[in-house]
Amino acid sequence: MTANLHILGIRHHGPGSARMVVRALEALKPDAVLIEGPPDAADVLPLAADPAMVPPVALLVYDPEQPQDSSYYPFTEFSPEWQAIRWALGCSAAVRFIDLPQTMRDRRVQIDPPDAETSGDTTNPAALPSQTAPQPGPALSAEPSPAAEPPPDALEALARAAGFSDGEAWWGRLIEERRAGDNPLEVFSAIHEAMAAARKELGPTPHDPSEPAREAHMRKAIRQAVKEGFGTIAVICGAWHAPVLTAEAIKATPAKADDELLKELIKGQPKRKVAATWIPWTYNRLTFESGYGAGVVSPGWYEHLWMHHEQVSTRWMTKVARFMREEDLDASPASVIESVRLADTLAAMRGRSITGLDELSDATLAVLCQGNPLPMRIIEQKLIVGNRLGEIPESTPSVPLLRDIAAQQKSLRMKLSAVETVLDLDQRKETDLARSRLLHRLSLLGIPWGQLHGDQKQGTSTFHEIWTVQWKPEFAVLAIEAARWGNTVESAATAHIKDRARSAEELAELTGLLDSVMLADLPSAVEVLSDRIGALSAVAASISSLMDALPPLVRILRYGNVRATDAALVEPLVRGLLARICAGLGPACGSLDDDAAGAMRDRLGAVAAALGTLASDEFSMPWLAELRKLGESDIHGLVAGRAWRLLLDAHACDTQAAADRIALALSPGNDPSVASAWIEGFLAGSGAVLVHDQRLLAIIDRWIASLTPTAFEQACPIVRRTFSSFAQPERRIIGENLKRGLATGADAGGPVTTAATADDYDAQRGELMDPVLKLILGEQMP
Amino acid sequence: MSTSVNNTHSAVAAALRETAEKQYAAELAALAKVDDRERPPKWNLSPWAVVTYLMGGTLKDGTEISAKYVGNRRLMEIAVATLATDRALLLLGVPGTAKSWVSEHIAAAISGDSTLMVQGTAGTPEEAIRYGWNYALLLAKGPSRDALVPGPVMRGMAEGKLVRFEELTRVPSEVQDTLITILSEKTLPIPELNSETRAVRGFNIIATANDRDRGVNELSSALKRRFNAVVLPVPDTMDDEVTIVHQRVGQMGRSLALPGELPAMEEIRRVVTIFRELRDGKTLDGKSKLKTPSGSMSTAEAIGVVTSGMALASHFGDGTLRAADVASGILGAIVKDPVQDKIVMQEYLETVVKERDGWKDLYRACREVL
Repeated sequence: MTANLHILGIRHHGPGSARMVVRALEALKPDAVLIEGPPDAADVLPLAADPAMVPPVALLVYDPEQPQDSSYYPFTEFSPEWQAIRWALGCSAAVRFIDLPQTMRDRRVQIDPPDAETSGDTTNPAALPSQTAPQPGPALSAEPSPAAEPPPDALEALARAAGFSDGEAWWGRLIEERRAGDNPLEVFSAIHEAMAAARKELGPTPHDPSEPAREAHMRKAIRQAVKEGFGTIAVICGAWHAPVLTAEAIKATPAKADDELLKELIKGQPKRKVAATWIPWTYNRLTFESGYGAGVVSPGWYEHLWMHHEQVSTRWMTKVARFMREEDLDASPASVIESVRLADTLAAMRGRSITGLDELSDATLAVLCQGNPLPMRIIEQKLIVGNRLGEIPESTPSVPLLRDIAAQQKSLRMKLSAVETVLDLDQRKETDLARSRLLHRLSLLGIPWGQLHGDQKQGTSTFHEIWTVQWKPEFAVLAIEAARWGNTVESAATAHIKDRARSAEELAELTGLLDSVMLADLPSAVEVLSDRIGALSAVAASISSLMDALPPLVRILRYGNVRATDAALVEPLVRGLLARICAGLGPACGSLDDDAAGAMRDRLGAVAAALGTLASDEFSMPWLAELRKLGESDIHGLVAGRAWRLLLDAHACDTQAAADRIALALSPGNDPSVASAWIEGFLAGSGAVLVHDQRLLAIIDRWIASLTPTAFEQACPIVRRTFSSFAQPERRIIGENLKRGLATGADAGGPVTTAATADDYDAQRGELMDPVLKLILGEQMP
Repeated sequence: MSTSVNNTHSAVAAALRETAEKQYAAELAALAKVDDRERPPKWNLSPWAVVTYLMGGTLKDGTEISAKYVGNRRLMEIAVATLATDRALLLLGVPGTAKSWVSEHIAAAISGDSTLMVQGTAGTPEEAIRYGWNYALLLAKGPSRDALVPGPVMRGMAEGKLVRFEELTRVPSEVQDTLITILSEKTLPIPELNSETRAVRGFNIIATANDRDRGVNELSSALKRRFNAVVLPVPDTMDDEVTIVHQRVGQMGRSLALPGELPAMEEIRRVVTIFRELRDGKTLDGKSKLKTPSGSMSTAEAIGVVTSGMALASHFGDGTLRAADVASGILGAIVKDPVQDKIVMQEYLETVVKERDGWKDLYRACREVL
């Protein structure tokens, strides 16, 4: 070994480590920097120097064939690796990633859901120390996800030996919070020694089966760099790996052994191809809670530590106070002074040379929040974790679809944000319409960037769409996954919908889809969809699926015009569906049991409501005619009753006819169970008809009165259920009417008068009012 | 005659309740001996030693320090650090969460004197906080320093000691605000003499307040800003609470000279279980919901129940704490409102206590007295 080899063992995302790495690099001036990272990403590595690249960002290494099979390597401003990359690129030193390539990883053990970071770092013990960190407040003590459960790791063992309660505190004190001034290289060699001792004690980590291979590959890469003749080489790797990568360790391990190990690894595995790109990342996804194994507890705090060398606690407290004022909470400069003093005293009491986040949070709680934990929770979420979202340069190579999304976001001036924001899009404006279109298209592609508020879908407002948008880093992966459908958002969405249309068998699913597709303005997809709907409805055997499919279509027909989409396309579909429904309705309602009848009653209601919004005789005439037939036929009472109710509501029959019909259904000869089902069908949902027309009420009243005790017991639950579905005021008025009707002994056929009758008049109580009235009117009263 | 009475009296005269600094004098002395850290002016111990005194531990020389506060160490650290920055300390919490207990021990450890105390009541006058007059002297000689009778706060200021202010929220608001000048200017003007008493370093105030009781006067924000607030929570876990009750009952039994042996953990555990369940409104296993009584069901009350049970057992029973001995105490603690709470208790007895294995004796004992 002729080269001057320096191993800098670090902790991922540690600001102190980052600072030391920078200083070590300044001192060493290496001509090659080797970094523990995926070599597959070598092509995109130079982009890190691009000024448009703003951390937090992540390297995404994915299989173009199977984008779900991807790994993220997040970097922040305060990641030592990031600083090393930027330093090397800045002074044109060679920079390489030397970890085990993704292509060589064993796929059999690397099956992870796409949203869980499968970074190689997950299992690096040196990357894990923050797990048992004292939480800065009761609110942060959320259970870490099992994925982040650390092994009893090296740091813990070392910290215990040094008399610390946990590894995080030990590492933080020794490395991350270290002040400038020491020789960084000495610190790094101290880290080596500690880790070498720990490795000897603990042996290889059992939780990372790929560790030997990873370290073999790193050694191989170092050997390669030495062979190429670099003079000074700096290796940035997790502290845990440092002892096995030193010049001595490399000499001690035969190159052949490493090569064989690596060869063994890829034997029998299919050759894989991977692609790499940069994607924006968020601080939130850097935390343990998000399931990132090498995560840190407090990215926002680390960023603060990285940005400010001096007056760390004062600046932090001022930041907290300013934030609290923004949130309309009291935070005076005097309180800031007091909290800094308290934090410093606490640190001194706990024997810490530097005031840490723990002390600052304790002081914030005691002074600024006056013991109230609620503001503390917002501070944790917004400041300690932070909600920063990174940016990547436009030139980043990526799938065309992702680039198209970015281009559209830019041209529509839709800023990516990791915070939930509400967008109110006015569809009459060109830009807003385009924005809505993009959001709709992305949701069709399965990228839920925006969530449309539910009530808008009901058509309460036809011009406005309210969206909640929040960008999440994993959307990049979803986009890559969706990239197989096409290169632009429009073409991909169209192709995806066409595919879904072809494979869908449920009519309702298609019509529901048509609604969204129309909103997304994808004409050719609409065509395919409507063809498919036509074809499916022609062969559909079940009337109920036709009935389910109708309302979304009617909604399009009704509201489609607002969005300048071609509603004319839908009209023939609606007409065809309606014709088929009318033709099949009678037989479909023929023999239904109670449950099926209930479902059919609801469907009748939905179809009628949808047709009602169209207010077109052309559509409603055949439907009402069919309903009348249904009402006359001898079918389940629920359906027949509802048919009459719908007719009455649509003014297709007069009240007298309905009254006659009720009387018929309730005539004593009928089975009480059938009669009560009929009543339920007729009345369920709203009692308004009984409030306004007392004839109907009287008929029902008489029917109940006429029931024999046994029949009453049978009918009572159903009638009670029906009435309990009415609104409270309706029930009250019905009750009052009945009471009055009974008191007057009103003739059950005729209308019940609502005016008070002579019997209601209590002369004695009336006289009580006399003196008052006299007082008001003067003595003019007789 | 009178002398003999006095003599017999002084022979037995042990204070019903010793002050903390006397009771734990040995521990404080041992701490002072090993404590080589920096002490703020007029402090008897360093902040570190004060926290050790509160949380307990073993010193370098092997002295065992008992835990005065069972719970989160961070809270005690914040409390002590607050006093070290000469900000006033406000201990908040529901009744029975050891606020006064902690304040007494902090004062004992820091100033060696926990007797400078103002007990806040609805009738606390300003004089109790500042100073009063010896009226005979005042009338005879006119206003002078001699005729002035300093209150605890004034004495604490002059001597550089901690002053405890119990139940600050019970005091009327206008009297509370007297503290503002004292806390911000660290001085107490005496307009009658055209002079003032300036606070010596080491003076500070520990106030306790609860936010749950009825008849509470909220602190003004001007006053609140001058305090650092530490909220003392109800004990986190069942085991913590059992430890607290067990420890305190032992101490109280000793000071009340109860002959009975220390009650079995099992009985304490049952009492604590009942208190926790009723306080949280659900059973410990989280399976069934319970009504909560109007009382606060604090740990302090649980301690009271066990102590009175011990007294019953030793004076009227066989010296061993049994279900019957605690039953009346439990009912007394729970049934504060004769109508509502009685229903709560009955429901609890019938649905929870009756069904629980090995609780038959307690059920029967409670039924008897209810």
